[in-house]
Amino acid sequence: MGGVPATATARRARPARDPRPRGVTLGRVVASEADKLTSLRSTGWLALATVAAAAATAWGLGMFARPEPGASGAPIAVAGAVLSQLGFLVLGARTGADEYRSGTARSTFAAVPRRLPVLAGQALVTAAAAPVVAVTALGAAVAATAGLRAAAGLALDVTDPETARLLAGFVLHQTGVALVGLGLGALVRRPDAALVAGVLALVVLDHLLATNPGRVADTARALLPGAGARVLLDDGRLDALAAGSLGPHPGPWSGYLVLAAWAAALLAAAAYRLRRGDVT
Amino acid sequence: MTATTAASRRARPTAHRPADAGGPTLPRVVAAQWTALTSLRSSWWAAALTVVVSGVLTHLSAQASSVDPGFDPLGSLTSGVVLSQVPPLVLGVLVGTGDFSTGAFRTTYVAVPRRWPVLVAQTVATAAFALLTAVAAVAAAVLALLPSARSRDIALDLGRDGTPQTLVGMTLLLTAIALLGLAIGALVRRSVPALTAAVLLVLVLPVVLLLATDLSTDPLAPATGGVPPAVAVVNTVVAFLPSGAGALLTADVVVEGAPDLGPWGGGLVLAAWIALPLAAAALRLRTRDVV
Repeated sequence: MGGVPATATARRARPARDPRPRGVTLGRVVASEADKLTSLRSTGWLALATVAAAAATAWGLGMFARPEPGASGAPIAVAGAVLSQLGFLVLGARTGADEYRSGTARSTFAAVPRRLPVLAGQALVTAAAAPVVAVTALGAAVAATAGLRAAAGLALDVTDPETARLLAGFVLHQTGVALVGLGLGALVRRPDAALVAGVLALVVLDHLLATNPGRVADTARALLPGAGARVLLDDGRLDALAAGSLGPHPGPWSGYLVLAAWAAALLAAAAYRLRRGDVT
Repeated sequence: MTATTAASRRARPTAHRPADAGGPTLPRVVAAQWTALTSLRSSWWAAALTVVVSGVLTHLSAQASSVDPGFDPLGSLTSGVVLSQVPPLVLGVLVGTGDFSTGAFRTTYVAVPRRWPVLVAQTVATAAFALLTAVAAVAAAVLALLPSARSRDIALDLGRDGTPQTLVGMTLLLTAIALLGLAIGALVRRSVPALTAAVLLVLVLPVVLLLATDLSTDPLAPATGGVPPAVAVVNTVVAFLPSGAGALLTADVVVEGAPDLGPWGGGLVLAAWIALPLAAAALRLRTRDVV
């Protein structure tokens, strides 16, 4: 019984001695969001599946590449991007939406009543985790296609600007896709709905519009987030795409800007909903 | 009071009811699953989206091609099917995982301790709901052709060679895709991994395989005769994926380099895609814990 007052005194006394600031800081929110992401076992499995998908697709598609000595091996190394972007989409969508489904969003927003730092923390953690997975996936894909490149006489010269663009583009594109997933997840607050919307916007609509070309379809295609994949196309295919398109033909980096703009717009919409709406 | 109630309850089965009326018979489980499916708002949203997407896309496609000299309105009939199969797929996954993601499976399997009737009932209920949706979606696609056909004074003849097969094939495809979603959902039991797998299999893999043909052919090279071996391999793989097999259902097309399965072969491949995960789900349900 006598211990209770002593503890209370000690507790009351501590802030005076402790120089650290109390309360919610962005750094602490980021740390807690990083904890949430890395402490889930499913995150590790997701990263592993993403890396495996990137490497296996690159290897499988590399078998179809026509041997053309002197050509760059980069298009084959990044060929797994279409499949593995799904992993990044899931990563972002889960980071943004899982807490609403499990109900832990209540504790999170009780701890961070200003709310927006949570979304900022999730964006920072996603923007940090996605490149790590992407670089690993790219390394695995490069290693998996090493034998194919040697057999076909394809060079992988990082000092070649086109090769450098494709390899850097892989990491940037997958990070952009993860942020689009985060924006969708935080906006609709359901991971499954965010996933379906993301796949529709990134893959299905793009494919559907590509098979029904026309001025409207080509314009829409250049403005969908799928335009970001242009950063992964080599110059020959970009020229072929531009030659067959009746709409605007953004270059690789303007295409990537379209993807980045989608991510920014979705995150802004999610922030607006978080700021103005209820969190239940 | 309590004693009387207990006594009357114990007495009832022998006195007033036939011996087998109290248990969860299959028709009752089907009725329960039908209620579970139709009382969710998301099911009706999925059904409405399927019909709307099918009608709108077919209308847009027919309008776009109605200026061509050799315009055939029935040629645009299947143009909405790629996108309108997405809501049935999601619906199927949600039916398969719904019990497990909400925790309602505890109640469900206490009520039906033999478990497998639940899976059968979910299949029946989903098939019936998806079939009704598919009929409405195909009807919407046909109606969407009318304005552009009228603008060119072409009469729609649905009895013409191949068209009945296309109509039936589209209906079966949309129903089958819902059942494929259900099978994957019931096997995986968690909505995000199940949805990822379903979307990957039905929507993304065909696009990835198209890339393979893209990589193996020069986009600027003139077309030469014969099928390159790489294209033949890709087309064969695509024909055995759910989407490729489904495309064989809707049209009598010969894909170059792929074995000629025909509509029946395509239907069988699609049925196998449903039956295998469904059987695995039944095995998991029978031999493992429900968690």
